[in-house]
Amino acid sequence: MREHLKSCAQAVLDGESEIAEELARLTLEKKMDLLEVIENGFVAGIREVGKLWEEGILFLPELVMGAEAMKAAMELLQPALETEGSDREKVGHVVIGTIEGDIHDIGKTLVATMLSANGFKITDLGADVPAVRFVDEAEKNDADCIAISALLTTTMPGQKKVIEELDKRSMRSRVKVMVGGAPCDEKWAAEIGADGYAGDAVAAVSLARSLTGRG
Amino acid sequence: MDPVIIEKISIDIDREEVMRLLGRIDSEAGEIDARVVRAVDRGIEEAGRLCEPKGIYVVARGKDLPGVGIFDDLERMAFCVCTIGSRLEDKVTSLTTEGRLLDAVILDSAGSAAAEATARYMDELIAEEASKTGLKTSCRASPGYGDWDIREQKGLFSLVDGGKIGVSLSESCMMKPRKSVSFAKHIDKKPHRLRSENSCRNCDIDICPYRISDIQPE
Repeated sequence: MREHLKSCAQAVLDGESEIAEELARLTLEKKMDLLEVIENGFVAGIREVGKLWEEGILFLPELVMGAEAMKAAMELLQPALETEGSDREKVGHVVIGTIEGDIHDIGKTLVATMLSANGFKITDLGADVPAVRFVDEAEKNDADCIAISALLTTTMPGQKKVIEELDKRSMRSRVKVMVGGAPCDEKWAAEIGADGYAGDAVAAVSLARSLTGRG
Repeated sequence: MDPVIIEKISIDIDREEVMRLLGRIDSEAGEIDARVVRAVDRGIEEAGRLCEPKGIYVVARGKDLPGVGIFDDLERMAFCVCTIGSRLEDKVTSLTTEGRLLDAVILDSAGSAAAEATARYMDELIAEEASKTGLKTSCRASPGYGDWDIREQKGLFSLVDGGKIGVSLSESCMMKPRKSVSFAKHIDKKPHRLRSENSCRNCDIDICPYRISDIQPE
């Protein structure tokens, strides 16, 4: 088992989607402990990827490959986990999108992918999303968190509108809000009353974990 | 002066620049995974096929630029808009939708490098034209960088008809296609350093992937 866990972590670290899939299949075939393989194998791998990224050892394509390998394994393991009725801690649900007026998409997609690879359930609304829609989707999905990207100083105020809409519907206390994008920073997050700012996809995972206590 | 339109620009996409935009700041750092190398080469090749670099510029007085008047005291300036077109970003969108995020991220960075190469071409062209009359040009300054507010983009577009090369401006002052660059240059015997150039010059983050490569911190 120890060797298997090590291989699972290594496959994610190496960004080897096919190997990760193969190991996930083997886990199911041999009826191994799903929780242990996920937590001590694949999750350990993706956390190491995040750590190496933060240390500047991995660069963007390697980070993406790690996330894709994790996703490939989890697509096979997650349904089995649900069938089994596992008591794995309920994952957090994040509604994510780029705010209205802004069509920058790829940075937000990277954040969504990393969150998903780290066990969060994601509702990705795409780009150019009106403030009201973020809140509608959070309400519909009973989400824990809304993540809003803005790449322009002219569209940043839209992030504040999302918070105002949450307030209006008395949802603010149960939905955390994180912001990101080139012109944003901690100060901006505090100014508009968001719960936090993340500068990149890995930081977004840490922030989402600390805000929701899940993932 | 009538606008100068360049319909077909030949550019080279700099591999090092693509790597830098992908976060590989130190080009001497450890060996790159062979799969990444292949994916980057593929991305650059595809970007070359999808790019349609074009540019337009006008020469005008600084005070002809509507807005807050940050260039009012400059007699002769070039205002330029250039683009690589929308085919590349359409492809990035379709790759993202297909879940091919690695290819999407690399193609997007190759597109950014291509847009920068297009801007560099127009920049050099303007400098070359200026030199024919014994004048020099400043570095580029762009709305949204340094202290030149992005909302001033509207003024620049009122001087330069970006539509002639397929570039439009959204309500939020974002250029469409996204891989477009707008900038101004001062033309003079002794051109001023435009204030917004200082954004890179005065910034301490010397490993920033977005640093304009020919401007180093002072």
